[in-house]
Amino acid sequence: MSNHAKKILLLLLAAALLVGAAQVQKSLNRDRQELDLTRMEPLNNAPPLLAFTTVALGGFRGLISNFLWIRATDLQQEDKFFEMVQLSDWITDLEPHFAQVWSYEAWNMAWNISVKFKDFADRWRWVQRGMELLRDDGLRYNPDNTLLYQQLSWIFQSKMGQNLDDANQYYKRQWADEMMPFFGPNGTNFDELIHPQTAEAKARANLLREKYKIDPVFAKKVDEKWGPLDWRLPEAHAIYWAALGLEKAKENPAKVRQSELTILRRSIYQSMLQAFRQGRLVVNPFDKTYDLYPDLDLVSKLFDTYETMYAEEPNPGQKDGIRTAQRNFLVIAVYFLYENNRVAEAAKWYRYLAREYPDKPLIIGNLNSMPSQMTLDEFVIALVQEDVGSKTPAQDRTTSAVQGLLTRAYYELAIGEDDRYAGFKLLAGKIYEHYQTATSSYQGGQQRVGLPPFADINRTVLNRLLDPKQGMPFAMRAVIRTRLGLPAETNVPSAAPISTNTPAPVVLTGTNSTTSAGE
Amino acid sequence: MQRLLAIAWLTWKAAFRFRLFLVVAVLLLAAVVGLPLLLKDDGTARGFTQILITYTLSVITALLGLSTLWLSCGTLARDIEECQIQVVATKPIARWQIWFGKWIGIMSLNAALLALSGGCVLGLLYWRAAGLPAAEQKILREQVLVARGSAKPQNFDTEIDAQTEQILQERLKTTPVGKADVAEVRRQIREQIKAQYQLVPPAYSREWRIDLGFAKNFLHDRPLQLRVKFNTAQYSSPSSTFIGLWRVGVPGTTKLWSSAPMSLSPDTFHEFEIPPDLFDSKGILTIDFLNANNTSLLFPLEDGMEVLYPKGGFALNFARGLGIIFCWMAFLAALGLAAASFLSFPVAAFFSLAMLVVVFSSGTLADVVESGTVVGGNGETGVMGHSVADMVLIPLFKGFLVVINLVKSFSPIDSLSGGRSISWTELGMAFVQIVLLLGGIIGLIGIGLFSRRELATAQGNQ
Repeated sequence: MSNHAKKILLLLLAAALLVGAAQVQKSLNRDRQELDLTRMEPLNNAPPLLAFTTVALGGFRGLISNFLWIRATDLQQEDKFFEMVQLSDWITDLEPHFAQVWSYEAWNMAWNISVKFKDFADRWRWVQRGMELLRDDGLRYNPDNTLLYQQLSWIFQSKMGQNLDDANQYYKRQWADEMMPFFGPNGTNFDELIHPQTAEAKARANLLREKYKIDPVFAKKVDEKWGPLDWRLPEAHAIYWAALGLEKAKENPAKVRQSELTILRRSIYQSMLQAFRQGRLVVNPFDKTYDLYPDLDLVSKLFDTYETMYAEEPNPGQKDGIRTAQRNFLVIAVYFLYENNRVAEAAKWYRYLAREYPDKPLIIGNLNSMPSQMTLDEFVIALVQEDVGSKTPAQDRTTSAVQGLLTRAYYELAIGEDDRYAGFKLLAGKIYEHYQTATSSYQGGQQRVGLPPFADINRTVLNRLLDPKQGMPFAMRAVIRTRLGLPAETNVPSAAPISTNTPAPVVLTGTNSTTSAGE
Repeated sequence: MQRLLAIAWLTWKAAFRFRLFLVVAVLLLAAVVGLPLLLKDDGTARGFTQILITYTLSVITALLGLSTLWLSCGTLARDIEECQIQVVATKPIARWQIWFGKWIGIMSLNAALLALSGGCVLGLLYWRAAGLPAAEQKILREQVLVARGSAKPQNFDTEIDAQTEQILQERLKTTPVGKADVAEVRRQIREQIKAQYQLVPPAYSREWRIDLGFAKNFLHDRPLQLRVKFNTAQYSSPSSTFIGLWRVGVPGTTKLWSSAPMSLSPDTFHEFEIPPDLFDSKGILTIDFLNANNTSLLFPLEDGMEVLYPKGGFALNFARGLGIIFCWMAFLAALGLAAASFLSFPVAAFFSLAMLVVVFSSGTLADVVESGTVVGGNGETGVMGHSVADMVLIPLFKGFLVVINLVKSFSPIDSLSGGRSISWTELGMAFVQIVLLLGGIIGLIGIGLFSRRELATAQGNQ
């Protein structure tokens, strides 16, 4: 046989063996996993270059990874971050199954490197890099690893959701902008995302799955179980990824420790609490800024969640902690509900507190704030006074508090938050009444320490807000005037400010408020 | 000279004959063109440019360095082993001319390859920059594709030393300490005094006055950058930040600029731009910092405050950076030729690479010298071990470090990626230290060994 023919034959033989090896590779991998023959799992979904690198380098991968790790640490200490993305990419490529590596690199980018930059846009880029490293690559190679779900959830919950970073509002705004095309302001149409009909809807749903790795079917389940959530905010995504981690854990119960499940559950509970406190996004229609309001529709579900946590917790000491956390949550919930003019619901939960914890102070440090001793109104007023910083009524602070609440009320009215407008107005009135009652018995009475009539305070605030030069923007002034039935603004500046002693007959329309601006 | 050039020409011919020139040129161009496609950057044009400069120049340095070593070892050692050198040596040419001619040949090859690859990198950088939005181009022009000089506050070492001595003497009068402890007491007093110069207590402000010197004449209408760094007195996690407010200028005398509250991380260099013309007629830039936190902040005297200003163009700076890399190549060529002067090709190559490993291990050597022993110590107690070998190795390592630092004290790639100026003086120092001093010594040793070598006895391949 000639050399040429021999070579061709050998090449054919090599190709045949390669094909044969490929055929048995799957079953070999399965056996390796089932028989626990190796701690290294086969690499799935990896691009050819990465698959080749991990196999070809063998045990030397660790050495190279160490070298890269040392370089990354050195560069970070020298404040040279431009190589970090590349080095992290290489390090994780070399150790694709080492979950701690993914977790550390993502955490380092999102938490440590991000704050090294003073510009919020730069910080956001690094938070995104951390998130993407886990979501796009880490979970791709380790789809069942709960640590990665936990870390991803933590980025949404803590880094973006909480206010530990000065740039947290920026992060929330950027994320809301990204999520706006999928999750609109009027609740999420999951059915459209699951079964898109138009080409545009299909593209949108595809983008959500491909880029953000969010499965609308599972998101709907999460929303039904823990929501309704505002998916434009980070808390919903923190819950999504933690819930997905729990779901994956169910598929591989043998590989998951109980402590990892506990952390994932806590991520959900803590994110729900955050969502209750700031889980409703309101876009200011005038300057397009975002405001975060409490999501009061979550009160009942969050209450139930605490009950579930209590039932799931085996440690008695921890159980007490959960009960305390639940009570603290209800105290805040009562105030938020009252503030939002949902007085009936506030009263319902206040009654629950009075029934379950009659002798526990509602306000820390105020032993007279037990639910058995004070009414709902008194509690809310006491809480505002606590915020104002005075337990005994003070004229200037009370005036300031009332003015502040009224200013807030008119702002809410302008942006269409009618319930909150009514709630703040109601609260301002209650604080005013409480002060007047408390000081009526003072020597010299109302003449010495009393406040001007509520209507006058209200008018002062309103005049200031409607002042074309120093007040709200024109569009907001126009809305307030329309909503309050005031005459439209003219271009002629008023000759003189309206006297606080001459209340004008302004009548409120379209709100639940019991008081009017002129009263 | 004609003889030297003849040998250099022979070296060129050998490089082409071995296809070395072609292979290295292709590899260099492939690296320059291919790296931008493979690299992952931080998403900013600035970051991409920085990583591009760093990686392309690093690859160029590594490839050229290895090929220089290979060629310098090969061209002489193989000529000797294959007896071709006998044909040359019998001509009317001195041994040193053969050696030096080969060095010139290698360096002229390096110059050509470095110019080719460096020119490609520069062209690539400008080409990519031209395609960016105007805002990104401005950032690049001001922070990366520029040569920035720097001005720092006055050095207070003299004042600190004087105060330290004064307080030390007063304290020694009242509380005598043993002779062995005086140095430690002095160090502690010095640190305390130094802290007073660095400290900004809560709600206090601190002023720096920085003299821009002669550069002030060229800085009108040009924005400057402040590069600041501070430490905190309280423990802070790596992700914590502190609020600071800056004001630059003197009220009533110069233009004023005030910053919005800045969220700044400690232990990190922060760079930010300040508007033009904030310095006074004498070129003094006055900077105020208000500490709006409830903890003290410390701006290190060494690098806590620095003003960066545009000093020149990037292209010339880049050329100077390549000049330093060229000096490194000159050193490697001398090393390789010196090794080949008395060793066979494989041994010479191994020896040269071993020397490179020693150079790259200078961090370990420095650690050993700092700890004073090669056997390490107890990490918990801090007690260091001792070995008889320390008596020989520590002075040896110290000597190594002095030599290595002559080469390693230049970092043109870092300077270029950070937009920092590489001065002509720095390039000149590199030439003197690396080429003339180290390269010269190694060259003399190599020439000496080559001159004394009996060429006819080395016939490895016959």
